[in-house]
Amino acid sequence: MSSLDLKRLALAALLLAAVLPDRAAAAVKVVTTTEGLAALAREVGGDRVQVESLSRGVQDPHFVDANPMLAVKLRNADLLVDVGLDLEIGWLPPLVNQSRNGEIQPSGARRLTAASAVQVLDVPTGPVSRAQGDLHPGGNPHFLTDPRRALKVAEAIAGKLSALDGAGAGTYAQRLRDFEKRLQAAQARWEQELAPVKGRKLFTRHRTMTYFLDWTGIVSAGELEPRPGVPPPPGHLAELVLVAQREGVKAISVENYYDTKSAEVVSRHSSAKIVLVPGDVGGEPGLDSYEKYVGLVVSRIAGALR
Amino acid sequence: MSSPWVATLVAGLVVLPSAARAADPQPSQPEAAQGAPRTQGPEPQGAEAREKLEEEIAKGLGQGGPGPAAAAAQGAASAGQPAAASQGGPGGNPMARLLLLPDISAIGSFAGAYDSYGVGSRSPREGPFGPKDTLTFRFEELELGLQSIVDPYARADVFVSFTPGAVDVEEAYLTTLSLPAGLQVKAGKLFSPFGRQNSQHPHVWDFVDAPLARGRLLAAETLSGPGVDLAWLAPLPWFTELQLAAQSTAPGPDDAERLTGVARLLQYFPVAEGTTLGVGLSAARRSEAPGAYRDLGGVDVYLRSRPLQGRSYVTLQGELFTRRFRNVAGESGTGGYAQLFVRKDAFFGYGVRYDRAPAAGDAAPGSEDRFGAIGIWYPSEFQRIRLQLSYDRAPDGRDGLEALLALEFGIGAHGAHPF
Repeated sequence: MSSLDLKRLALAALLLAAVLPDRAAAAVKVVTTTEGLAALAREVGGDRVQVESLSRGVQDPHFVDANPMLAVKLRNADLLVDVGLDLEIGWLPPLVNQSRNGEIQPSGARRLTAASAVQVLDVPTGPVSRAQGDLHPGGNPHFLTDPRRALKVAEAIAGKLSALDGAGAGTYAQRLRDFEKRLQAAQARWEQELAPVKGRKLFTRHRTMTYFLDWTGIVSAGELEPRPGVPPPPGHLAELVLVAQREGVKAISVENYYDTKSAEVVSRHSSAKIVLVPGDVGGEPGLDSYEKYVGLVVSRIAGALR
Repeated sequence: MSSPWVATLVAGLVVLPSAARAADPQPSQPEAAQGAPRTQGPEPQGAEAREKLEEEIAKGLGQGGPGPAAAAAQGAASAGQPAAASQGGPGGNPMARLLLLPDISAIGSFAGAYDSYGVGSRSPREGPFGPKDTLTFRFEELELGLQSIVDPYARADVFVSFTPGAVDVEEAYLTTLSLPAGLQVKAGKLFSPFGRQNSQHPHVWDFVDAPLARGRLLAAETLSGPGVDLAWLAPLPWFTELQLAAQSTAPGPDDAERLTGVARLLQYFPVAEGTTLGVGLSAARRSEAPGAYRDLGGVDVYLRSRPLQGRSYVTLQGELFTRRFRNVAGESGTGGYAQLFVRKDAFFGYGVRYDRAPAAGDAAPGSEDRFGAIGIWYPSEFQRIRLQLSYDRAPDGRDGLEALLALEFGIGAHGAHPF
């Protein structure tokens, strides 16, 4: 055997080693854009699925790099689950186009846009322009802070998985029921924990908590950003300080991927405390399930508003 | 056993699962006709079942109001659809045709230029410059982008460039979306897949102007032209793409369009959490006359490091180009650039660049060097203001300073850019 043959053989072996183990496993390959969606896919998919998230829970999902290495993950995806409502507009489309996976294109057979399963809030009704900041023209995409909506998304994932992997339909349905039972029990506990602070007011950094507030009955007293994605000028922060003093705002919730400078300013001049919250599952060490993530957000917010 | 064999295997593996998959719950338009009857389930019996079927068909033809259950059903719908589904009233949505418009965007670039040595005669190039020692304001370019999915099989991207006194279709190409075996074809008029910066539009660059070497060695503006580009994504755990293109290119303003073959191998490796290294190799051969060629070679390196939290990042980027002529007169040469760019946060960035290229214009033969620095302010995602200062030295020792102040804005829906 010549050295060229050996080299070729080695190369072929390397290629095979790279390709086969992945393909040999029968699990449905689910790729999600965020760790929250990944956690839900794991809940309903169990051992039948292999789930990977393109972004990490500590990242701001609006600003993920369109790294071509992520396109490699999409290439073999049996299902792509994205949030939608333009949350991933800055990075997902080029990756999907690079992936060569035609069925994960928007509306493709192997694409599930989670927003299609939930009732969307903050949908602009009047004219939309960038003068309003970097807003989401389709509505607010941060709906996984609400367990009721998360359940809807889990249902949609189970439906899609059953369509793609008919043999597992029973498993998916069973796991969905189990998840529903656990989540509803947890939800009852969380609601109890939040009951004393219902109706209290808080500021948020970005409109990331709209759905959480919709669920909990806690009230938004405003956002640190005067418009989505626009940094707060001093005048706006001063206004918030006055609002905080007038209306007894007790907390400013800030996802841990944001800088806290403006929150600190408002906090210093009022009685509102900064509450750092994880932005998603995986947003802090140990937050490896959807229940742990929401549980932590609930306890932090409840603690600060008490 | 060789890689074509592996490619075939992979092709088989890619194709098989899709053939085995269940029917799409919301079939796309072309599939709807044949897909619908198959999803009806057990054979309808009796008048009741018939009525139900009729109702379903009427609904399928858009004659029934969209029921709430249908809207809530598991959907592969895109983000915009649910709202439309829940608002459906008599007569449907009169604005529906707007949904089919391609994404339309415009990017405008303007610059104020000043130099102390006469760029036009001593260092001629594309990009903003004016007469020596005179502040000149320049309208650089307005790029109109039209981008859309064409059908379930391809998308199209069109970029029309308006420059002072000219309109040009910069790029207009179709990209396939679902060829098997990791293949993707682009066809139309496109930038050549040669090096990193040549395939990017100027508004993606950190620096205001192109490195000198690109203009002197590859093409006055961009190496581009009508043709076909075949890209193969290798079935490896890291990103490895091989591109082969055949295009008619005209590198200089006076050149005729001639057949050019381009090959590029691009790889991205994960180096550490948040750090990626990209390495590319490019080669091109342009037919100058029967039996005579212009050969181009290039190496590009891109290192990007970005902490997961926050908006800051650091990039290190460099390219080397070389040009040779075979059996035809022409100046061979080598040149390149290296740049470091730091995005401090969402609003500011700065960088430095070193440039080296064969001298041009009335400069003595040899290499011209340029040292540049840039500061960028991003008032928002859709605007940037850049100040670029450079020191340029010709081979004969003559030197000078250049300053560029550039404004750029983007409106409309412009597709996100690749890495």
